[in-house]
Amino acid sequence: MIDQLPEGKSIGWMQAPPQWIFTHTVRFIGVVRVVIQDGEGFILIKKGKPLMYFFKHGRIELRGHAALDYFNSHPTIEFNLCKYTPEEFAHALKICDVEENQPEPAEMQEQAPVAPAREEAAEEPAAELQEMSPAEHLPAELRETPEPEREIPGTPVPEIPVAAVPVKPVAAVTERVFVPQPAVLEDPDIKIIGQIKKLNGIVAISVFNDDRNILLMGDVEIEPLLKIARTMLATADKITPVLYWGSFVHMTLQIPEGNVIIAPYHENHLCILTTRTINIGHIRRILRDLQQDRSQGIRL
Amino acid sequence: MLKQILNKFLILNDVQAAIVIEENGEIIQSIKSGIVINEEIQNVIATIMLDSKKTAAQFGNASLSMVFIEFSDYFLILGPVMEEFYLVIIAKSTANIGQITYEMKKNQDAIVSLL
Repeated sequence: MIDQLPEGKSIGWMQAPPQWIFTHTVRFIGVVRVVIQDGEGFILIKKGKPLMYFFKHGRIELRGHAALDYFNSHPTIEFNLCKYTPEEFAHALKICDVEENQPEPAEMQEQAPVAPAREEAAEEPAAELQEMSPAEHLPAELRETPEPEREIPGTPVPEIPVAAVPVKPVAAVTERVFVPQPAVLEDPDIKIIGQIKKLNGIVAISVFNDDRNILLMGDVEIEPLLKIARTMLATADKITPVLYWGSFVHMTLQIPEGNVIIAPYHENHLCILTTRTINIGHIRRILRDLQQDRSQGIRL
Repeated sequence: MLKQILNKFLILNDVQAAIVIEENGEIIQSIKSGIVINEEIQNVIATIMLDSKKTAAQFGNASLSMVFIEFSDYFLILGPVMEEFYLVIIAKSTANIGQITYEMKKNQDAIVSLL
């Protein structure tokens, strides 16, 4: 899908928190091409309104809130703003099978952090941005260590003040700034989660921690599911210190509609939603293997 | 009679205990081998029963079908048999879970008839 999109006019590569994109594109029509490690994706945007989220890593494809969640799981992401002409934009809409004037997909409306930020930005975007120096838009850690060599000199930005950290095109980047990302999953993790998601009967799989959802694959509302997962985790936390039965492997709650499974995963947790017909024994073996690999110090 | 039914579980490979327990933590009948069912385990079972019932209710008031908690050495399966009574199986992690859940379903009516 990414390859089919019109190229557009590149405004420049940048590095910024994902939320920056939504608060600084109120006059932008085009595509934001996102690169995270070896994967790539995009956000199709019309004047601050995201019309489609997409991310692909190998054979794993994330769409909608799953892709957005993955973007949001990174403190900063690297992206290229590519402006579209009306014709290019119409072509992109067709490729993405999105209607220009349709309301935001329900799955996107669930993303609370996105909508309010966009609305705030829509009130007085230009004035607000003109009053601030570019450095004021940067995350604190980046303001403290500016990298002037990453700037693209002479890049005209007529409609979007480039307030994030501009970076060179990926091919030209020789050094990268590695921001500590404790809650970010590595590529093999995403691959493993993707493989579990592909098993028969798996409706959705999430990696979450105490604060938030880190990765979601599957078409479900994440917040209600996480609420249940955290309740189950609280139960497991209550009983684990009392029992001397070894380390906690998983807890599975079965209801007539299906199963909810929680399990430790590195410093985070997995939550798996399955149909009733799932082979629990198979899932159980996978979860045990994940834990054994972890205890043996093998990086998954 | 109840003990005879519970014994069907105990003869399964690596099963350590079969317990019929009330929601308030009171053990109605139990049969065990190589494990002590002390007050702590009773409290753990009561916690799982109450918490899981509440959690299942978050799914549009769904009823709880079964709870399965596994640790590296042992696991516990808990299934409701009737309103406030549950059947709990404690087994080593090497036990056959499919066989246990099959026996739980197969013997549910017999257990209910004795409560």
